Amino acid sequence: MNIINKILNVDDYYFDVFMSISEALAGFTVNELQSTGLAETYYTYVLKSLEAATFVEFLTVSKNILENSSGEEELKKAIQSEIIGNAGMNEIAGKVITMWYLGTWEGSYINDLSYKEGLVWNLMHSHPPGAKQPGYKSWNIKPVNSNS
Amino acid sequence: MNQTHNKKDVIIVGTGIAGSLIAKLLSDHVFDVAKGKMIHRADAGKSDSIKEISILMYEAGLEAGLELDSVSSMTTYNEYIRTFYREEAKVPNSPYPNLKQAPSPNVLDMEHIVQPFPDKKGYLVQFGPMPFASDAIRVGGGTTLHWLGTTPRMLPNDFKLTEKYGITIHKPDSKEKTPINWPIDYEELRPYYEMAEFEIGVSGDVSRQEYPIDENMEKYYGNYVFPMEEIPQSYMDHKIIEGLKGTSVKLSSGEIPLMMVPSPQGRNSIPNPKYGKTKIIKAEPKESGYKLVLDSSEKEEYKALGSVWNPYMGERCEGNASCVPICPVQAKYNALKTLKKALYKLNDHENLKRNPYMQIQAQSVVYRLSVDQNDKDKISKVHLRRYTSKEKTDFIEESIDTSDAIVILAANAFENPKILLNSPYTTQNGVKTAANSSDQVGRNLMDHMVMLTWGLFPEPVYPYRGPGSTTNISSFRDGNFRGEFSAWISPLDNWGWGWPAFSPGSDVAYFISQENLFGAELREALTNRLSKQVLFHFEIEQLPNPNNRVTINDQYMDVLGIPRPVIHYELTEYEMKAMEHAKHASDQMFKRLGIKDFTKYTAADMNSVMYNGVRYSYNGAGHIVGTHRMGSTAEDSVTNSYCKAWDHPNLYIVGAGNMTTLGTSNPTLTLSAFTIRSVESILADLEIQLKK
Ligand SMILES: Cc1cc2nc3c(=O)[nH]c(=O)nc-3n(C[C@H](O)[C@H](O)[C@H](O)COP(=O)(O)OP(=O)(O)OC[C@H]3O[C@@H](n4cnc5c(N)ncnc54)[C@H](O)[C@@H]3O)c2cc1C
Ligand code: SF4
Repeated sequence: MNIINKILNVDDYYFDVFMSISEALAGFTVNELQSTGLAETYYTYVLKSLEAATFVEFLTVSKNILENSSGEEELKKAIQSEIIGNAGMNEIAGKVITMWYLGTWEGSYINDLSYKEGLVWNLMHSHPPGAKQPGYKSWNIKPVNSNS
Repeated sequence: MNQTHNKKDVIIVGTGIAGSLIAKLLSDHVFDVAKGKMIHRADAGKSDSIKEISILMYEAGLEAGLELDSVSSMTTYNEYIRTFYREEAKVPNSPYPNLKQAPSPNVLDMEHIVQPFPDKKGYLVQFGPMPFASDAIRVGGGTTLHWLGTTPRMLPNDFKLTEKYGITIHKPDSKEKTPINWPIDYEELRPYYEMAEFEIGVSGDVSRQEYPIDENMEKYYGNYVFPMEEIPQSYMDHKIIEGLKGTSVKLSSGEIPLMMVPSPQGRNSIPNPKYGKTKIIKAEPKESGYKLVLDSSEKEEYKALGSVWNPYMGERCEGNASCVPICPVQAKYNALKTLKKALYKLNDHENLKRNPYMQIQAQSVVYRLSVDQNDKDKISKVHLRRYTSKEKTDFIEESIDTSDAIVILAANAFENPKILLNSPYTTQNGVKTAANSSDQVGRNLMDHMVMLTWGLFPEPVYPYRGPGSTTNISSFRDGNFRGEFSAWISPLDNWGWGWPAFSPGSDVAYFISQENLFGAELREALTNRLSKQVLFHFEIEQLPNPNNRVTINDQYMDVLGIPRPVIHYELTEYEMKAMEHAKHASDQMFKRLGIKDFTKYTAADMNSVMYNGVRYSYNGAGHIVGTHRMGSTAEDSVTNSYCKAWDHPNLYIVGAGNMTTLGTSNPTLTLSAFTIRSVESILADLEIQLKK
């Protein structure tokens, strides 16, 4: 798997690794993740919240996995063994997924937007309570965006 | 001590729905000096022989919450919404200021009680044995800011449990039993229910209401339509109704057919053209006294009332799905809407103008009343502590002379008794506390025990959308079984397992950390689980029990040196047996619908009981009721049916605390109905007062 847009400055070096591994872990495309409007915010937030060495380690492992896997299946297996199977990596991966899904890091919302942009609401064809109101009577029918 | 001197006709403590309704109705009336009668503003014309009623309201919450001009109210309310977005635990109180000077009971403060020691965390002091599980909020507008807005009426039999089912309860601290009928019946209250439904703006369809009652529905509702059309039921409701239609549930008392009823609710939908013109609630003077009527004399068609800052916002429920704890557009009714109508009146040019005869003083915590024994035991003073800022705990001690005023306590069912119990006075027969000759102040604390059952529907039903609940199962609201165990109502919940299981957060955590899922599989597992979640409630009626009570104790004070409510609370077999039956009912319905049961009650749950070897857990419903019950005699109740204290000629005590029994309805519509009715008596008292 290729990593595009490599280096802008040192901090940004890993940004695309972060997004690509997020895609693989969360199951949403980079595009979908970007459309939350929070990608950079999340990246810098994690940079700040984890010890630099820990985050770099996580991203380096991720980068290797991404670069060395030639297809979906291989990538999945690599994540399974090197991230999920490793207690420390697993913990960070869980936090990253949770951040995308719920907008929280260790139980706290990162900002107002992160609550509203939690992807878990999209999964169930709903919306974050109190925001993105779907309109009168919308709840009366099957969600229009569900293709089941 | 600071004495507030300018004379007022009426002092109201609290700006919740009870206080706001009274303020609104009183400020709509004026005293016609020539006729010596109170008349509605609309009938006063340009007469210069009228006298305005001067009203002062005290509110414990912050000043900002009561600034109801458009800009300020929008600013404050948006701040509430932002706080709600940021709070991790989105409990009912989460959007609102958590004040140390006027603390509120909060569900997050509830702890296991290890007797004999109380749970002292937060505001309430809970001696148990069970924690009281409901909260309320002390801000301008009160608890309707975070209520759900479900507004069923009570059923006729709810008013006569003794007559109908032979139920009696203990007298305080005695083995002797006593009946518990209300001093009014359904028939008497019916016109006031219509007034309350008008003021709250209830959406619903009368022809689709179905209850297990002896009367026919024509008798129950009369020739009536709700102001607004029914709120659409959820997709999930339809699926459940499809699966249960025409079936019944078997209980020990026999087969009970299932009635799935679209709930009437206080949130805006489409105004019903059949409801006709907008109405006014006005007093018709009688030979002696007053009768309130709902009059169609306004020119305009009935319109939904939107948000306080912009009437065009929130004219329809937009499906924000956050009614508890906050409706972002105020499509859901809250008491600020009524309060704003009291504060702003139309002038001659049909512009809104601040009502100069009404004053609201915020940040003022009322804590005691004085009784003047030389003047028929009148309430002669209201004492309060006014704190000056949100940060500081210093306060200004104030009191207001009320010997020529009517005092109305509308501070909710924890605060009203607390204030009364903190108002001692010495008589020949020893020390008494205000309004308490019956020894019923603070007693009979009730709530609905909300037993929840949850599971996965066999196909996606797409919860987490729409108002909290749009349908209820009404079948168990009345029946002969009430001689043996509680009745209940079963709302269907539209918000998945949010309440019992903290979904969707807990599901995300579970699949990540327990199942080690990621990527497409995680996505699929979550989609599958979250779109199939259903939640049933069993809101179980609690009987009045004099030992379930609010007391005070000088060991437990808040930062202003005001006593905190000290709670004693437990269940009886009557309620536990209902839980057992409700679980049987749930099992049968789940089975028929193919729902996979995920319900789990554990010893770690805050409110949990063992009954016949099986564990049941419940939550609070927010229905804090009964602590200053109304009745037919001064011996067994605190107020008469007009919420007037038996012991004091100028004191009214209003709110859910007046409810003699709980029934299976959410209490607010009923408390609104009898609070509106109390205005007839208040107007009669004002007439005497103003003639002087
Ligand atoms: C989560 C939740 C959901 C609910 N859902 C529903 C529902 O769907 N349907 C329904 O019918 N009911 C519901 N209820 C109940 C409903 O909210 C209450 O019955 C109703 O709001 C009570 O109104 P009130 O005016 O008596 O008291 P409150 O609204 O509590 O108002 C009391 C007022 O007095 C003020 N005050 C308190 N103490 C003092 C003091 N010492 N000095 C001065 N001011 C004081 C407070 O700040 C407040 O403004 C719900 C409650 C909760 C908690
Ligand atoms: S569903 Fe939304 S818009 Fe409707 S009342 Fe509830 S919070 Fe308000």
